[in-house]
Amino acid sequence: MTQTVLSVRDLATSFFTRRGEVQAVRGVSFDVRPGEILGLVGESGSGKSITCMSVLRLLKTGGRIKSGSANFEGTDLLSLDENALSDLRGNRIGVIFQDPMTSLNPTLTVGEQVMEAILRHRSISRAQARARAVELFELVRIPSAAARLKSYPHEFSGGMRQRVMIAIALACDPKLLIADEPTTALDVTIQRQILALLKDLQQRLGMAVILITHDLGVIAEVTDRVLVLYGGLVMETAPVRELFAAPGHPYTVGLLGAVPDLRDDTHRRLTPIPGSPPNMLAPPPGCPFAPRCPHAMTRCLAELPPLFGEGHQSRCWLQHPDAPKVDAVHEVAA
Amino acid sequence: MTQPLLQLRDLHKHFRLPSAPFTPKPVLRAVDGVDLDLMKGETLGLVGESGCGKSTLARTVIRLHEPTSGSILFDGKDVSKGSDRQTGTFRRRVQMIFQDPYASLNPRMSVGELIAEPLDIGGIGTPAERRKKVADLLDRVGLPSDSGARFAHEFSGGQRQRIGIARAIALEPDLVICDEPISALDVSVQAQVVNMLEDLQAELGLTYLFITHDLSMVRHISDRIGVMYLGRIVELASSADLYHRPSHPYTRALLSAIPVPDPEAARAVEPMQGEIPSPIDIPSGCRFRTRCPMATDLCARVDPPLTDVGGGHLSACHFAGELAQQSTGA
Repeated sequence: MTQTVLSVRDLATSFFTRRGEVQAVRGVSFDVRPGEILGLVGESGSGKSITCMSVLRLLKTGGRIKSGSANFEGTDLLSLDENALSDLRGNRIGVIFQDPMTSLNPTLTVGEQVMEAILRHRSISRAQARARAVELFELVRIPSAAARLKSYPHEFSGGMRQRVMIAIALACDPKLLIADEPTTALDVTIQRQILALLKDLQQRLGMAVILITHDLGVIAEVTDRVLVLYGGLVMETAPVRELFAAPGHPYTVGLLGAVPDLRDDTHRRLTPIPGSPPNMLAPPPGCPFAPRCPHAMTRCLAELPPLFGEGHQSRCWLQHPDAPKVDAVHEVAA
Repeated sequence: MTQPLLQLRDLHKHFRLPSAPFTPKPVLRAVDGVDLDLMKGETLGLVGESGCGKSTLARTVIRLHEPTSGSILFDGKDVSKGSDRQTGTFRRRVQMIFQDPYASLNPRMSVGELIAEPLDIGGIGTPAERRKKVADLLDRVGLPSDSGARFAHEFSGGQRQRIGIARAIALEPDLVICDEPISALDVSVQAQVVNMLEDLQAELGLTYLFITHDLSMVRHISDRIGVMYLGRIVELASSADLYHRPSHPYTRALLSAIPVPDPEAARAVEPMQGEIPSPIDIPSGCRFRTRCPMATDLCARVDPPLTDVGGGHLSACHFAGELAQQSTGA
């Protein structure tokens, strides 16, 4: 049996607002295996970021984890006390956020910030920490590493700031790295550099990575396995090649049809998904995608389907053994 | 032969930045010599990384910025200088769709007021006619007919962008400048908006200047594409030709950097190194040479002009001919 780095079970998180309970995550389970890159893909409001922020217990005011567990190296992160959790975050678990400008302190040099991350978790001297910081800057390929430690965040470009963030996240050799839209704010050429760096570091350091993104291109390029989220639920999970070759959920099919293919000369008209995502104040009782789904049946509107299948799982009634046979892929594309 | 609707001739927009007392003010050359013809009814895509000057170019064309030098000809008439009275109906005939559908709509105005605003300013029609026009526009952009009385915050991002589009087409313009109109939207909603823009173009005969950093979407929507780098267009070609026969090293790097949603696709091995230089201190000679894998001494000395590599495909590179040939051979 393969071991898991992180094992999340039945996670449910809600935000309690004046308008009521926003059910952001409604029972998400997944495993992260050692040395793999797991992609979490979904649109805004799908629950992909909230899932990870819940695991790290970094929810904003009003957010509460209602149930579930997150087992990391034999401890449940969701029931751990705050001190013990702080010892894990930034140490055994590294985190990178989307916006490298707001995640760095503008009043401290980047060197100070990297050293802070090291000294928080290691009992070493400042000189040793500085040496480690230089090492980390070289690892993330910041040119003239030693000199750049004295720079402030505003002196760095977006791409370089994201490298600093990665250096901080890697400061204590994490077993798991959580990257929340790490390249969304960057230009494509810089995105390519950062993705190549992440993939290279992941292989060299042998850590597991959870990569959160809305970009199917990024998913195809760097991940090994994918969870597709929608309406706070896992709609489909599969190894990356299988997901793109044979998507099993109409939502995944819809997402793939909605992006233009760069290599296509025929100027195919895009196939948008009609309607808009569900209101999570009052999520529909059945499949959250049913109101937008071209194959929706009566049962879809009334009853939430379970995840069918092993390895490649899909939360769709069409996967039920007794369901009518629909070629979801080709019907939507036609 | 269709005639150009918009012609830009050696257009510059420079900004003087603040500096310490008694030191010269640094000059940021955001748009640094752009020549461009936009034909009636076509969609011209403008792509480039942040800081390449594409949004400044758009804002200069519509004269939200005054150009530093150069001319803007609209329907053959110079509109780069002079008051609104002198430029006539220019402002009415050119409209813009903005990137951020959250920031570009006044939260205190109802959607009906927002869409009627251009008509009010233009003094078009009687109040009753305007109300009817607003209802038509709502219908045209696919919003429910009761939307007029509601406020922007009650709508999703995609719907707000539809409101922005309704505002832009209210005056029946000839040219619509779309500045990253879909970047803030989710994938499933992007396709809805792009299809609608295509339909509106067919119905109303619009010309689009479509600015984006999304290279897959720009290929889909554009007839021709211009690639901008540090304030200048470095390559310009029909969209199929640009993707099949990229003839500038920068375009090649951009194209190979796009993440392709197919795990089986071949990946470029080596990402382009370095980052875009500051537009305050543009490199001598070819502005791309600091990141270019092919750069030679010549590139540091001589600024390559946009030249035709065949079939109206323009590239500003000393080696454009070779590159064009290579791509055809490959």
